[in-house]
Order: sequence, then structure tokens, then C-alpha cells
Amino acid sequence: MTGNKNAMAMLGVAAFAALALAPLLLPGYLVFQASLGLTYAIAILGLNLLMGFNGQISLAQGVFFALGGYIVAILMTDYGVPIYLAIAVAVAATTLLGALIGVPALRLQGLQLAIITLVLAALVPSLIMRFDSITKGTSGIAIAKPEPPKWLPMEQDTWLYLICLAGAGLCVVIMLRLVGGDTGRRLRAVRDNATIAESFGVHVAATRIAAFATSAAFGGFAGGLYAMVNAFVSPDSFQLFKSFEFLAGAIIGGITSITGAFIGAVIVIFLPEWSADINLALTGVIYGAALVVMMLVAREGVVGLVTKGLSRLSDKLTNAEKHGSKSNEDSRRAFVASVEKK
Amino acid sequence: MTLVWQQIVEGLAAGSIYAALALALVLIHRATRVVNFAQGEMATFSVYLCSQMLIWGLPLYLALLITAVISFILGAAVFRLTIRPVLDAPPETIVVVCIGLFIGFQAICLWIWGSDSAQFPRLFSSTIWTVGGVRISANNVGILVTLSALAIVLALVFRFTRIGLAMRAAAAERAKSPYVGIEVETMLTFGWGVAAVFGFIAAALAAPSLFLSPTMMMSVIIYALAAATLGGWDSPLGAIVGGLAVGVAETVGTTLIKSIGAELRLAIPFLLIGLVLFVRPQGLFGRADKARV
Repeated sequence: MTGNKNAMAMLGVAAFAALALAPLLLPGYLVFQASLGLTYAIAILGLNLLMGFNGQISLAQGVFFALGGYIVAILMTDYGVPIYLAIAVAVAATTLLGALIGVPALRLQGLQLAIITLVLAALVPSLIMRFDSITKGTSGIAIAKPEPPKWLPMEQDTWLYLICLAGAGLCVVIMLRLVGGDTGRRLRAVRDNATIAESFGVHVAATRIAAFATSAAFGGFAGGLYAMVNAFVSPDSFQLFKSFEFLAGAIIGGITSITGAFIGAVIVIFLPEWSADINLALTGVIYGAALVVMMLVAREGVVGLVTKGLSRLSDKLTNAEKHGSKSNEDSRRAFVASVEKK
Repeated sequence: MTLVWQQIVEGLAAGSIYAALALALVLIHRATRVVNFAQGEMATFSVYLCSQMLIWGLPLYLALLITAVISFILGAAVFRLTIRPVLDAPPETIVVVCIGLFIGFQAICLWIWGSDSAQFPRLFSSTIWTVGGVRISANNVGILVTLSALAIVLALVFRFTRIGLAMRAAAAERAKSPYVGIEVETMLTFGWGVAAVFGFIAAALAAPSLFLSPTMMMSVIIYALAAATLGGWDSPLGAIVGGLAVGVAETVGTTLIKSIGAELRLAIPFLLIGLVLFVRPQGLFGRADKARV
């Protein structure tokens, strides 16, 4: 088992290293896309934690994403706060907001939570427009991208990509710590049966609030990085559809999978581009169809499908092996019998 | 004071549309415990179909009638194909399916008919009466009358017909109804079909003033969610009262409370939903759930 774990860790480190070297091979605009993808992956990870591992429906991950983005943009342009500090403030603020929403969410059942988070997500662009004295309304806020350190000879976009990659790596490590071990068991116990979890001494309320706050923090962190990479925030980036994209990414990738979050992010980034050649609406059609079909046939998403496929394949192989050895055995017996007859 | 009355009249008309959509949501929730987030988008699709028939030259009322039938089939098909298979799954699964339908139907409308908003004819005359300084349009009266008619027909069907009784039974006791010969699946499918027709009517009433576009019903569904929450998710009467109340709260609220402003209209349903969920989660006319361990 530990061997398996070590192998997984090695694999993870290798994947991280490969991703870190990727900008050497990729053309410039793909590096930019990949950076955006990493920020989406972080937001989706947060959604996975909340929905997949803790069973709380949220259609409002875009809310924290927007808040993170705007906090970074406003702090940098209006108050001259350095970007990394601004991102830290964004994470702190969204954690707090997440906890504040998590408390009333305790009283709500699944459908009620879905309704109110949907309405909240729909409200975001209006809020940005209403407070246009700080958010600059539709004209949005442009941000200066941070320069790479002088001693590092690299493109600015490569530097931003590496920052996002480091951020995503950090989030993956945090996720692994959270969903493995006792914390993960607590999270899942609350998801599967809160009453039983409570009777086993799990503090259900605290677990749920913490899950909400952490998930929101991921969303805010992702939004802050997004503002940095995109160097611009405006209400257009934070429509209700953004929350739906995160949901689609999380579900299609696999709601209880860390790898799934990255697969989902790749889809969310590239699907609109690929389908734009055929029709702008194709993205929506695919998202819609994928969400419905996934729920009908593959609730664990792409990662679930692949894992199931692999295990079926290995089953088949072992069966074939058994089968083969069995027929060998049979033929040996038949041979022995025929010899004995003689 | 005239201004307030004027706003109330406008609010009642808008509220009737919310009420019709909320009625669809409540019908579905009563039958299947599903909140159909896609109801508005399905309705938009129906209205586009109707508008297409008008372009082909069909008379308005015939087109409306045909579309109502198609909407019924659409609602029933959506239930059979996408909801029925996951009906016993946890709520988050069904929520995801409904969001998928939401995105999908909106995208289909965008694909077929484009993003430009189109005209849709008014169903009622554009006469305007003035009563004590308050302007009342025939259109608004027509919308209110339509809603009342819908509500009365629905109440009568539920109360006095065998199929209404069977639908109530199927919704209340899904597991036991088959023992008395009720075909539960058929009843639930029927419920989804009727709800789709109600959604279509709401969208057809809303289309002349909102203009027909793929995102037309996005704000309406938010208000309808607020209306159903306020009235209680199990109560058709609640949906109607809730819808009218939300409509009036919206128009009067945005006019009287200047700090809300036109941009924050959507804050009203949000605050309303929040308030109801924390003060009286079952809504005005709903019955409180009793938890069993």
C-alpha cells in the first residue's frame, strides 16, 4: 500500500515537473491559456471539495471567483498593494465570506441551498454594476502584470504560468491533506449521513462550515490569480455562466477526483475555442448534454469512467490468465488421463 | 400615491408571469421533488417554436395551441429521458441534470435562432384605460385574467377529476399508489407535461415586453424561484400569491428604495428567498417537513 502511495506521489511530482517545463515547448498564447486553465482548476478543486467530498450543493463558485478577482484588481490599482499581498487578502476575504455563507447554509437542505446559491451567482454582475464607483462598472479594471525577477530570463507570461502552477500545486497538496486521512473521513461521513456522523462524534456544523470556507478560499485564490493572468477584470468575466462552467468542469472531470478538476479545467478552457469554429452555441450544447448524460451513466465523470475502464480491463486480463491456466490444467489432466488409460 | 398604485398594477402584471412559471415549478416539485431550474429555458424554446410558426404564416392562436401541445410533449419527454432515470438519486444529481438542461436549451435556442432579440406579438389589445389617474393596460388585465383562468382550471382538475386525484395520489405516495391501480409514472410524466405548458404560457406572456431572446427567461426564473419559495414549494395557491407578491415587491421596491436602483432588481428575490428560508422555510402556504430519524 505504501509502495502504491509512493508511486502515486512520484507520478504527481513527475506530472508537476512536466507541467513546469511545458512553457518551453508551448507557443505563447497556449501558455496564457494554460495559466487561465490552472486558475479554473483551482476553483473547480474548491467545488470538488464542497460538492464531491462534503455533499453541499453550490452553484455559486463564480461568486468567490469574482470577489477574489475584484479584490486583487481594486487593491492593486486604487491602493498600490503589491500583487502577492493582494492575492493573500483576496483569499482571506473569500474564506471569511465562505464561512459567513456556510453558517446559514447549515440550515438549508440540498435543493434550498441550490436555489439560493444560484440566485446569488446570478446577482454578481448586478452587484458589480451597482457599485461601479469602486468596480468601474462595464469598463472594468486593467491591472499591471507582475514582472519576472531580474535574474530570471523568461517571458512575462511564462512567469505568470509558473506562479499559477505553484498555486495549483499548493492547492493540490492542501486537497490531498484534506481528503485523505481523518479529515477526509469526517467530510465524507457528513456527506453520506450527517446523523450517523454526529453520533460518531463528528462536529457536523464545524465540518460543513470549514468545507464551505475552504472551498470559497480556493475560489477567491483562483479569482485573484485569474485577475493577474488576464490583467483585466470586468462584469463580463463573472456572469452566471462562469459558475455553470465551474460546475460543468467539476462534473465532467469527476466531482470526487483531484485529477478530474484539471481535466475539467482543460475542457472549460478549450471547449469554447474548438467549438467556436462550428458554432458559438455548441459549447453550451456540449456542456448541457455532458451534464445530463454524465449524471445518467457516469456520475464519477471522466476520471471515474477511465478508472472503471482500467479495472475492467485488468479484470479481463486476470480472468484471461486464470482462464488460460485453467485450460492448461484441463489439457494436462486430459493428457494424464489418456496416458493412464494406455 | 398614484405612483404607488401605478407600480402595484405593473407589479401585478409582472407578478402574474412569475406566478405562472412558479406554478409550473411547484407542479413539478409536488410530483417529483425536483426543482426544475430549466423550466424557464424550456419555455423560451417553446416560444421560439411558436414565433417560428408565426413566421411560417400560421395564425397566432393556432400557433399558440400547437406550441402548447408540443410543450406538453417536450416536458413529458424531458422527464422520461433525463429525470426519471435519476429520480431516486441524491438531490445534487438532479440539480446537475436540471442545470445541464438549462444550459442545453439556452444553447439550442442560441444556435437555431441567434442572439438577436426578436419581436413577439402581444396576445391582447394595446388599449389603455385610466382609472383615477392609474393607467391600466388591457394587456396587463389580460395577463392577470389568463393567470386566474389557469389557476382555476388547475384547481378544478386537481379537485374534481379522477386524473387530478390520481396525480395528487402519485405525488403524495409514489410507492403505494400502484397498489390502487394508479400508474405513477404516467401521472408524473403528465405533471411534467402540464408544467411545461404553464411555463410556455408564462414565457408567451412575457415575450412581448421582454423581447424574445435565448436569455429572456433567466431573470424570470429567478423571480419564479423566489415566488415558489415564498408561497411554499408544495402549494399552487402559494405560487400564485408568491408570484404576485414578488412582482409587486420588485416594482414598488425599485421605485421607492432609491438605493437599490435598477441595477439591483435581482437583489429583491435574493433577499426574499434568504428571508423566507430562515424565517419560515416551508413558505407561506407550505407544510413544514417533519424529519424522521
